[in-house]
Amino acid sequence: MSLYLHFIYSFLATLGFCIFFNVPKKDLLYGSITGSIGWTLYTYLNGISNSASLSSFISATIIALLGEVFARINRKPVTVFIIPGIVPLVPGYGMYLTMLDIINNDFNSAAKTGSDTIFVAGSIAIGVILVSSTAKLFKKIRSVAKMSPTQK
Amino acid sequence: MTITEKKGILRIALYAGEIMLKNGAEIYRVEDTIIRICTSKNLNHVNAFVTPTGIFVSDDRMDGISFIKRIKNRSLNLHKVSMVNNFSRGYVNSTMGISQALTQLKKIDESDKYPLPVRVFFTGVIGGFFSLMFGGQFLDFISASIISMVSIFIADQIDKISDTSFFPTIIASSTIGLLGILFTLIGIGKSLDMIIVGSLMPLVPGVAFTNGLRDFISGDLIAGLTKIFEAIFIAICIAVGIGIVFQLWVSWFGGAF
Repeated sequence: MSLYLHFIYSFLATLGFCIFFNVPKKDLLYGSITGSIGWTLYTYLNGISNSASLSSFISATIIALLGEVFARINRKPVTVFIIPGIVPLVPGYGMYLTMLDIINNDFNSAAKTGSDTIFVAGSIAIGVILVSSTAKLFKKIRSVAKMSPTQK
Repeated sequence: MTITEKKGILRIALYAGEIMLKNGAEIYRVEDTIIRICTSKNLNHVNAFVTPTGIFVSDDRMDGISFIKRIKNRSLNLHKVSMVNNFSRGYVNSTMGISQALTQLKKIDESDKYPLPVRVFFTGVIGGFFSLMFGGQFLDFISASIISMVSIFIADQIDKISDTSFFPTIIASSTIGLLGILFTLIGIGKSLDMIIVGSLMPLVPGVAFTNGLRDFISGDLIAGLTKIFEAIFIAICIAVGIGIVFQLWVSWFGGAF
């Protein structure tokens, strides 16, 4: 399947999730764009590197950056854009498969899918936190620079 | 500052935090909002301890006023989170009265979701396009859309009467399994796997799991652990719901298509 098809499909799927999570009307477009850019980047990187955790880490970082930018533009909390953004990447189906394997006593494949799931979810979480911590650091530096010398 | 004023400000902070937590904000955002509202009104010694099931706010000086709020059920409603965020930014720089602030928060708390038909339709969109993204055919797209609409409608109806989110999840996933088998038998849809991938997407707790990890990494250990375990348990519920249907299908009908 070509990348532009992935882009269109993931845009519409993320739009559905935006309605599902009650994203405000004005931000529907931004949230869906964030999700589709993240998913398209993920499929592209996954095709090159064949490592799901690396590609989801990079995509999550880009998604969080986009979320910070959109949050500055629209004066909304970052969460409103990041949660719809990571929805296509998130390994929900992997969690379900892991549990299904455990129920069916297939512990070898449960260990494999389970560890994949945890790695992918962990890399998404770390990617998002990396960006938000950096943003906080910049905020702090800027607020210290604004202070008068006596306050320092 | 009198005791009544102090109590009023703490109550505003607690209510704002409660609405945020009930609608799926991160833990650090809730704590930050509470502390920010308090410090803007010269309450500089307030501690907030937030877990997914309760909020504790307390002044650690001698008069030691403290509030506890128990949170029973949580969902994800980003509209309310962003509205409370805007409210707290406005409140910090304003001279709004206590009762006025509480009425504003009450209005936010009672604001509506998108109407049910719209939400059901877009859940169908989620199911269909996810099955296409994972490599399904056109027929899979149609059946995944229909199945996810039906399952989310059923889950929504059961959610009104049940007090936990686990029971509706089991029923909805069993419905997905049943309808998936039915549709492939009739011939709408090529592969059962693709239909199930798509229609499970609205139920699956991937976002909850990742958010739990995010909270855990950013230092809210208790909140992170509880959220992660809740997500794992929801995944177990989904697997049980579908697993039961498949086992019965195999043992009664031989699993033949």
